[in-house]
Amino acid sequence: MSKVYFSTWRGEQISNVGKAEDAWEESAYNLPAQYDDHRESKAFIGWDGVALFDPDVDVVRLATEYAAQYQVYSEACGRCAPGRWGGRILYDLLDKIARGEGTHDDVTHLKEVSNSMQLTSKCEIGKTVPTPLMDLMEHFKEDFDRCIDEQVASKHYDTEVNYIAKITAPCTDACPAHVDIPGYIEGVRDLRFDDSLKATRQTMPLAHTCGRVCPHPCEDACRRSNLDDPIAIMELKRLGADYETDHGFGFFHPAEAKPKGDKKVAVIGAGPAGLTTAYYLALEGIHVDVFEELPVLGGEVAVGVPEYRMPIDKYNQDIEAVRDLGVNFIVNARVDAEMMRQYEKDYDSVMVATGTRISKKVRCGNERPELDGYWSAIEMLDQVNLFEKYGIGEEVDLTGKTVVCVGGGFTSMDVVRCSIRANAKKVYMIYRRDEKTIIRNTTYEEYHEAVEEGVEFLFHSAVNTINDEEDVIKSLLIDKFELVPDPNGGRAQLVKIDDASFTIDSDFLIPAVSQSADLDLLPEEWELEMTSWATIKTNGVDYMTSRKGIFASGDCEYGPMTIVNAVGQAKRAASVMARYVESGEITLTDDEIMEDHLRKMRVYDKKEKVTGWLPGIPREHSEVLDVDERKDNNKEVNYGFTQEQGLSEAERCMRCYYIAMIAQ
Amino acid sequence: MSKMIQFTIDGRQVTAAKGESILQVARREEIYIPTMCYLAKTSPSASCRMCVVEAEGVDGFVLSCNTPPTEGIAITSDSQALYTERQNIMKMYNVNHPLQCGVCDKSGECDLQNKTLDFDLDDQSFAVADQRRESKVWGVLSYDPHLCIMCEKCTSVCNEVVGSEALFIRPGGYKSEIDNTFSKCIQCGECISVCPVGAMASTDFEYTSNVWELEKVPSACAHCSSACNLTYEKKHTSIATLGDEHIYRVTNEYDHDTLCGAGRFGYDYENRVTQKDEDAFAIAVSAFENADTIRFNSMISNEEALLLQRLKEQFGYRLINKEAKKYQEFMDAFTSVSGNSLYSADLETIRKSDYAITIGSAVSTDNPMVRFALSVAVNRRKAYMAYMHPIEDEMLRNLVTQYVKYEVGSEEGVLAMLCEMIVDEKAKESHKAFFDDLDLGYISGESNFGEEELELLKKKLVRRYDPVLIIGADLINHPNAVNIAKMAGMIEKHSAFSVMIIPPETNSLGVSLICDLDSEEGENTVGYNVAADFVLSALGDGDLDMPALSQQEGTLTNIDKRVVPMNAALAYHGYELNDIANALGVKSDHVIDYTAELPQERGFSTVRFDDLPNHYTNVGEEVRGYYLDVVETEASATVDVISDIREFNGSVIYRCDPLMQFNPFTDKAHQIIDEAFLSGSEQFAVAARIKDGERVRFTVGEDVYERVFKVDERLKGTVALNPSFDSSENYESYRYNQVKIERV
Repeated sequence: MSKVYFSTWRGEQISNVGKAEDAWEESAYNLPAQYDDHRESKAFIGWDGVALFDPDVDVVRLATEYAAQYQVYSEACGRCAPGRWGGRILYDLLDKIARGEGTHDDVTHLKEVSNSMQLTSKCEIGKTVPTPLMDLMEHFKEDFDRCIDEQVASKHYDTEVNYIAKITAPCTDACPAHVDIPGYIEGVRDLRFDDSLKATRQTMPLAHTCGRVCPHPCEDACRRSNLDDPIAIMELKRLGADYETDHGFGFFHPAEAKPKGDKKVAVIGAGPAGLTTAYYLALEGIHVDVFEELPVLGGEVAVGVPEYRMPIDKYNQDIEAVRDLGVNFIVNARVDAEMMRQYEKDYDSVMVATGTRISKKVRCGNERPELDGYWSAIEMLDQVNLFEKYGIGEEVDLTGKTVVCVGGGFTSMDVVRCSIRANAKKVYMIYRRDEKTIIRNTTYEEYHEAVEEGVEFLFHSAVNTINDEEDVIKSLLIDKFELVPDPNGGRAQLVKIDDASFTIDSDFLIPAVSQSADLDLLPEEWELEMTSWATIKTNGVDYMTSRKGIFASGDCEYGPMTIVNAVGQAKRAASVMARYVESGEITLTDDEIMEDHLRKMRVYDKKEKVTGWLPGIPREHSEVLDVDERKDNNKEVNYGFTQEQGLSEAERCMRCYYIAMIAQ
Repeated sequence: MSKMIQFTIDGRQVTAAKGESILQVARREEIYIPTMCYLAKTSPSASCRMCVVEAEGVDGFVLSCNTPPTEGIAITSDSQALYTERQNIMKMYNVNHPLQCGVCDKSGECDLQNKTLDFDLDDQSFAVADQRRESKVWGVLSYDPHLCIMCEKCTSVCNEVVGSEALFIRPGGYKSEIDNTFSKCIQCGECISVCPVGAMASTDFEYTSNVWELEKVPSACAHCSSACNLTYEKKHTSIATLGDEHIYRVTNEYDHDTLCGAGRFGYDYENRVTQKDEDAFAIAVSAFENADTIRFNSMISNEEALLLQRLKEQFGYRLINKEAKKYQEFMDAFTSVSGNSLYSADLETIRKSDYAITIGSAVSTDNPMVRFALSVAVNRRKAYMAYMHPIEDEMLRNLVTQYVKYEVGSEEGVLAMLCEMIVDEKAKESHKAFFDDLDLGYISGESNFGEEELELLKKKLVRRYDPVLIIGADLINHPNAVNIAKMAGMIEKHSAFSVMIIPPETNSLGVSLICDLDSEEGENTVGYNVAADFVLSALGDGDLDMPALSQQEGTLTNIDKRVVPMNAALAYHGYELNDIANALGVKSDHVIDYTAELPQERGFSTVRFDDLPNHYTNVGEEVRGYYLDVVETEASATVDVISDIREFNGSVIYRCDPLMQFNPFTDKAHQIIDEAFLSGSEQFAVAARIKDGERVRFTVGEDVYERVFKVDERLKGTVALNPSFDSSENYESYRYNQVKIERV
């Protein structure tokens, strides 16, 4: 709900022209009328309409400036005839009218060019830029006519007005790391995989990783799904990354790193958040020391995600890309409160990115960590991965053993599939909810691959009690539940079914329900604010904690979440920190403010009808190893796209770039 | 996967294979959809938006170049609404396009000009503020951004087909233009050929002729064994010298086919002879009468090769062409194990491969078409490409996925290791002695081809369906060539690999099939384009002038095992080989009378020269000449155990020409200018104790060379490159030589 003077946003038709301000009809959308805490917006104009918050807006100039922003954008593109010349014509003609030199023929030409751009442009930007312009020309015809008939400049033609524009796309907006997805897909389509990878690394240094194990929230916001199936966005990312390693090129960075200055930042934890912080700070010329508790780099992605899903040599390529920018890594360095106090003094700023490395309990009877066979998911996966990937420690051999995992998320999937690979006799997954939910919480592929490999899923189930003999787990009592709809229309409740409990023999119980953060390193006297989830509290915008100069990102801030979420947070935090270490101020760039506004508004519109594309072109699926080829080893399961698949998938991308602009 | 999709275009029932776009089907069906940016041989850039079509039930227009059809969809390729939008696009293309058609090179064959007229536009309806831009000259190519319509054909071809990634788009919206990373540019001129307007022009041709004044002579390029299709375009140079024609430029079927720089720019090597020199001819005939040996090279047509064979049959000449002989022996040994007279791969096999190993060829310079085909494979199919050679070619970095740098001389062992990896169990039984003797540890140690490198090659072969093995002249000319050829034959017969054995010179394959070649020379020699007691020369430096290949009719047998026609671009007024044969009593009116007589038992056909087709279909199918038939024989031979690997120490040089240079004919062309330097890395210079720019002397076999030494930054390692394009000899010796280098 926003107070507007006029709005055509997303098809609404609100005009409060001539009405008293207290009688204004409100917009149905959450429009950015308040730019930030001390500035208001006068107008918002974008791909799907225009909203005026102030009656005094010069609409002719607003249209001209929007066309000018398109010019700025197309400075970076110019890849189609209608966009390249059409955009230029739009701007030239609008400016001619705005400065008082236009004719009515120019208006006719504007409409003609707009129509052509809408029909034939290569990307959505060219197709949508004319939309709000046409709206303004229609609803404020008299303002345009006045400039033409009287040959006068528009009312604020020479006034200083601040226009702030931002390019976005539904997928980019939905991605927590705001990756330029259409950009990297364009690189694939152009067969310029170097460009593709550089586009990814602008905001996502872990391209090899997130080309493989990202839950891809972007695909839920892919406009192509309004037409048929979403683009296989994640897998296309991998093509650029694989090109880098296939040909033994060094590293494709998005820009050359600035020369190192005298500012220093300490990063605690070398997982996705820590690596990302380090990468973007290093690009800004800031010296970074990363302290890692484990003997290896990479955090949970290294010691949590198994080799068959995320080959370590590929992840190492991402890590080496960070090192390549001069980042200094210190392993086997568990940081404690005393060290934190010292780092606060020694460094200009500190990032805490320690993740969530404590497995939570399943909360059942007789749950005692000292029981033989009670094994936390984190510890189990640490042991598996340290051995399989690095040869550290002992091999996990579950021959003849029955393993029961309680979970439902990615970690639990890794546990059961690793157990299969460790030759377990029988592997169960206990999950409180149903199949549909487990798929939603992980991925379709992940679940089905686990089933194929022989994992037995027990849905609507929970462990009641652990049965042990002399502190050795022997069996588990399992309760069954059913979903009972709330007669009052509330959320359905899980209710235990009487007399349906049963016992299964078990050698191991592996809790993988969730993890919590180990924050012993934070000095007590700092009294850092915490969330109710016992994670470090920030405002989720600049990622500074309640203590000045101390930042937090990734799972230790958000709670256990995805790699891409950690990357997105850390990327933003790095940007804030880079300015903070110079100025001591916490600031956001206009681009970041706009990014947050757009995220709130949601760029993707599920109901929009897509035109100009042939529906029914199937999404490509990459080949995976057959179950017999994969279940007893660590070979990467997914082969990735062939080039033909990659190309035809890239051709399906509609390049849904949009421009949003605010006038202040 | 192979399901065909049925749909209609303009009511006509048509069928698409998987991967085909609507536009491709339309072209195949000869339904016209206008385009400005579409280049058939690359993936679509989708920039012009002219190819939009209507699809029934779909709002808006659909792009046909990059959209595959769906089952049952009804496509309309033309309508009033489409016409209007296409016309609007042409209006935009014409914004500020300079009206300089009167002097523009492209005028008369310009897509912009043609479609502007097609769409009935006689004025520039839109104008925007003009901008000043700089024209550029990048060697053979000149770029005028004012004329550029940003169709991206040049960047696509440079990236995807040529694989050099030199040209790129410098984005800037209305200011966008093309730029060139000149250090990567291989001066092939592909960009010039695909440019639909006058933006990318030939620096040499620019402003020399209107295109409609040029007479077109379709032919085949005679510089290397690819024998690419090309068209010589010629006219007279002035009124005063009517009849004295010159070739102005070379063009080709750029939408489907590709040419390298030598083919495109190395066309003026003709031998300008104004009249018949009867005295020299009489001496020539008597030289033949007195000779017992004819020396020649593979810069010769099939017909003249047959003519020499007839002379041999009639008069008992010994035919000496050491390079072709070496190739013939290699192919014979190959056949003795594979059972087929010819290798199975051609350039299209390479383009379609998903795994390619090249061994013993400096691909970039040995045969540019192989390089281009590999580029297509890597770009289109993400082919795994292993480049096995003692010298890494940095220019192929973006194509090669694995360099295997083996020691000079170890080729036989290296190929043996590949055999171990590639061939099936049956081969291991049939060639048991060979495999039993194989000591991978020893070979790996001596050749520096690590077992882990072999493992990687093997690992990457998983799920590859179309592997190809490309064998170069280092193996053909190897001291153990015969056994190497047998191994190649074994791989061909007993693995999923298709094998290609690159014919080292223009018509090595044709000569090797047609001529019964001798090893030992006699007392008295006549030479055809090579040194001898009496020399017939198309270079104009012999005892009797001969026509160059651009002045002859005839056929060549190319790398694709295809017999392709050459037409005479320029008249020749002197004597030719057929005249001598006639004088000696081997009679025929025209040398092309031999075309139909080429030996059928070696796979040739009896088609007459004038009946040979020479064109491309609408979808780019090459219809040129005919394919040789494969002759099957019994595969009875076995591979021998391999010899000990000889070590090469000290200064080693490698016979290798610079880009675009193949022989004295390319050297003669005025646009291809190279000095024959010995070039090596800094490391080589230090080891050989010579400095950049110094003149050095060294001996290879019986030849003493004196060359200036140049340090080439792109080279690494301890092998220097010694070119051979300044000599007419076709070499048969191993390409590497250990030499003593002295400063002069």
